[in-house]
Amino acid sequence: MVAADDVGVILNPMIVDGQMHGGLVQGIGQALYEEAQYDESGQLLTGSYLNYGMPRASDFPFFNVGNHPTACTHNPIGAKGVGEVGAIGCPPAVINAVLDALAPLGVTDISMPVTPEKVWRAIASAQAAASTRD
Amino acid sequence: MTTCVTFSFIVRLPLPRRSILRQASQGKLLGGGRAFCQCSSWTWPSQVTSCRLGVTELRGIRTEGNQLIIGAFTSHAEVAASAEVRAKIPSLARLADGIGDPQVRNRGTLGGSLAHADPAADYPAAVLGLSATVHTDRRTVPADRFFTGLFETALEPDEILTAVRFTIPQRAAYAKFASHASRYAVVGVMVAQYPGGVRVGVTGAGPSAFRWTAAESALTARFAPESLAGLTYPADDLTSTPEATADYRAHLLPIMTKRAVQTALG
Repeated sequence: MVAADDVGVILNPMIVDGQMHGGLVQGIGQALYEEAQYDESGQLLTGSYLNYGMPRASDFPFFNVGNHPTACTHNPIGAKGVGEVGAIGCPPAVINAVLDALAPLGVTDISMPVTPEKVWRAIASAQAAASTRD
Repeated sequence: MTTCVTFSFIVRLPLPRRSILRQASQGKLLGGGRAFCQCSSWTWPSQVTSCRLGVTELRGIRTEGNQLIIGAFTSHAEVAASAEVRAKIPSLARLADGIGDPQVRNRGTLGGSLAHADPAADYPAAVLGLSATVHTDRRTVPADRFFTGLFETALEPDEILTAVRFTIPQRAAYAKFASHASRYAVVGVMVAQYPGGVRVGVTGAGPSAFRWTAAESALTARFAPESLAGLTYPADDLTSTPEATADYRAHLLPIMTKRAVQTALG
């Protein structure tokens, strides 16, 4: 997975890389795993890590992160900030990859998080729609 | 209302001192791993007495004839790393290596997992699939009579599970579709081939582990993935959770069974 950003002047490269890694994980977590589910009465169904899909290190590939710093002109050190930047581009990148994989099966839309059952249901309804047309 | 949770850790409890266990009317004897973490995180049941059984005679792995005997207090990590298990029933070593995470595998035990009888735990599929016998401090219970319902077993409140005898199969494999959040089995299937027939132990899919007899007959006739073609399991009998509906589990069951057969065939 490759990600690049412009965080302005970098004072501590290690912390910047760490923030980008964390942001990527947050974004992929939103796309694939994390969801606060409630039942009809408002009871939280994903109240512990037994059922809330917290992303973990073993869920991810190595990250290749890069920066193209241009100094910010509004503060003396030229920094722009790097908190959670990877979280912005990640969800659309992951969902586009999923939809690209499912396109041959007729799936054109899917909601986050993309759980295995959602993929199965998306394929089933696309095939049902296709057979109705035939 | 505040739920009162009482945890008692009794380390190195000698087997004869069962009087302590009788006091734990709502207690369960666990090993201190997976199930224990889960109970404490749910604060469930309202009073939990966990006896951390440190008795050395409940530990260990040995072979007797066509049986592999594992002591109840043997950890998942010990089963996973055991040269004996890897040689006799490699699928069981791989199953143990896929339970939870390293911390749970180091603390959790075979006996604790079975006594808790979580419907999504991995070992129940192995106990049913590998034609096991559960040994306690007073009797032996065949696998088919051990799991009696959701978190329910044939064990009496003060009965101590001491060992499990697995029958060494000609070949076997465990295929698990794991929950991303918990690593428990959404559907886990142990398929084992014996001279007398094939056994299929299923966990995760229903309220309690069970044998899929229709698949057993089909695979006994011919041990091949194709034998399962067209075979389905009624979703009505399966579990629905926010993570996986009964329909999805019914979809996964034949697939995981087929994968187990493919793996067993190499």
